[in-house]
Amino acid sequence: MADKDIIQTIERDGVTIARVRLEAILTSEQVEAFGKALLPLADVPGRRVVLNFLGVHQLTSMALGEIIRLHKRLAEAGGELCLADIDPRIWEVFAITRLDRLFRIFDREEEAVAALLGEGEAET
Amino acid sequence: MPEPTADIRDPTGWSEEVLPTRLSAIRESERRVLSRLAELGYGEDCRFAVRLAIEEALINAMKHGNRMEESRKVRLAYRVLADRVEIRVADEGAGFQPACIPDPTVDENLQRPCGRGIMLMRSYMDEVTYSANGAEVHMVKYRGSPVRGFPPEGRRR
Repeated sequence: MADKDIIQTIERDGVTIARVRLEAILTSEQVEAFGKALLPLADVPGRRVVLNFLGVHQLTSMALGEIIRLHKRLAEAGGELCLADIDPRIWEVFAITRLDRLFRIFDREEEAVAALLGEGEAET
Repeated sequence: MPEPTADIRDPTGWSEEVLPTRLSAIRESERRVLSRLAELGYGEDCRFAVRLAIEEALINAMKHGNRMEESRKVRLAYRVLADRVEIRVADEGAGFQPACIPDPTVDENLQRPCGRGIMLMRSYMDEVTYSANGAEVHMVKYRGSPVRGFPPEGRRR
């Protein structure tokens, strides 16, 4: 599976929007493909990224590990990560593991973009 | 490609499968358990919870228990009853002490990789107990029970 089949990226006002195109990040193959597709997002120093989970209905702790890894790599490179459009059940997973404290999470993609552009603070 | 080498259903309702230590082997077993839940009318929330817990338990058994040695086996036993689902996962590793796993939710551990799977199993299943050496886990989910361990300040949106 090509990276573009896992993550679709677009640029908007200097913010990279990465839309996850998997319905589940569950199996080892899905997690591996997801992690591999995330890697290039941290290649550009100072990059601001919105990771959009619209349509993702299930993930595991291994997938959470890949998101944490991206968060760390972006932070090390002076960038920033926001998450958006998270399914209520997935949001619960973030809340249970308290990762909602680590990540900036927004209801919608445009709110996350605005926050990264310094135009709003509508975190959930 | 060898798939589960045994699938036995006994009179008490338990089915047992023996899996090779290969992550790709998880999917089919998981599918069979979830089909059984759907047959007995378990709802989407319950199926989400059981799927997550089985996935985490089997990954832990293969990665941390059997150290990804394919010759080692993982035994998955399950029974789906009218009021509850029970899952047992056993590996052939040396075992571990669950109490020694660091709390993944404290600030200094938030970015560390360990402990989150066990925490999710405990949150989504109603009972999670380990054998004395930690190499076998027994999980129970009751029909209609809510997710446990959900932080009081959290909410479902």
